[in-house]
Amino acid sequence: MADVQPTTDPVRPKRPLNAWFNPRGRSINTIAFALNRLTAIGLTVYLFLHLAILSLLLRGEESWNSFIAIARTPWFLMLDVVLLFGVVYHMFNGIRVALVGMGVANYRQKTLFYVLVGIALVLFAVGAVLIFTK
Amino acid sequence: MESTMTRRSLEEMAAQRDRAGSLWLVQAFSGLFLVIILGLHMIAHHFVVEGGLRDYQQVLDYVANPLVFGVEVLFVILATVHALLGVRAIALDTRPSVGAIRVINWALAVVGAVTIAYGLWLAVSLQRLAG
Repeated sequence: MADVQPTTDPVRPKRPLNAWFNPRGRSINTIAFALNRLTAIGLTVYLFLHLAILSLLLRGEESWNSFIAIARTPWFLMLDVVLLFGVVYHMFNGIRVALVGMGVANYRQKTLFYVLVGIALVLFAVGAVLIFTK
Repeated sequence: MESTMTRRSLEEMAAQRDRAGSLWLVQAFSGLFLVIILGLHMIAHHFVVEGGLRDYQQVLDYVANPLVFGVEVLFVILATVHALLGVRAIALDTRPSVGAIRVINWALAVVGAVTIAYGLWLAVSLQRLAG
């Protein structure tokens, strides 16, 4: 059993996590994959943070409204913009990953990537403007 | 081949592969549902309200709506399942041992159960506050 790794795959790099941060000679698919995972980690951390922040509601009106006052400052809104990028990128690249994984448009992965991430970037730009102007 | 991979280990690997395929499907479908629910969540909470975020009374009025309550509960469950399956996939990419995989699976199951339970408790508490 010693030489049988549960995730053994002959084409998988020996240090897969290191490979994410080395963009040299990588295809757009690999960079898309790495970015998908980085945004996934960020969004997972945010999910727990979000639940913790929502707990402020149980402490009453003053507690929540003072958080909202902080959340409306420009520096905090910048974090919202970063979050929005993570959400829309992960969302639209995730659609591509799911479709390709199910055998849809396998041979048009790159086109699918450019179209979906293009839509994501347009939505991101609109959302970023709305965050600062709404 | 026979000396290093017994018939049992091959069967275990086949079972792991089937399980990984099922979990991938769960992650893909939860992700597709999240596209809709998270989209609605972000529009409702960040882009519709004047000032960008709901104040205390606006939040309570919002969660008092049974449809919103149901959607938010579904959102907590789907987001937690999707996120933790993703964490598992990343953890498996570090080539852990069989024992470590078992620990990872249990740890993520516990974190997931606690997160969903807490999210549901929070949603119910807020709806009670809304009266």
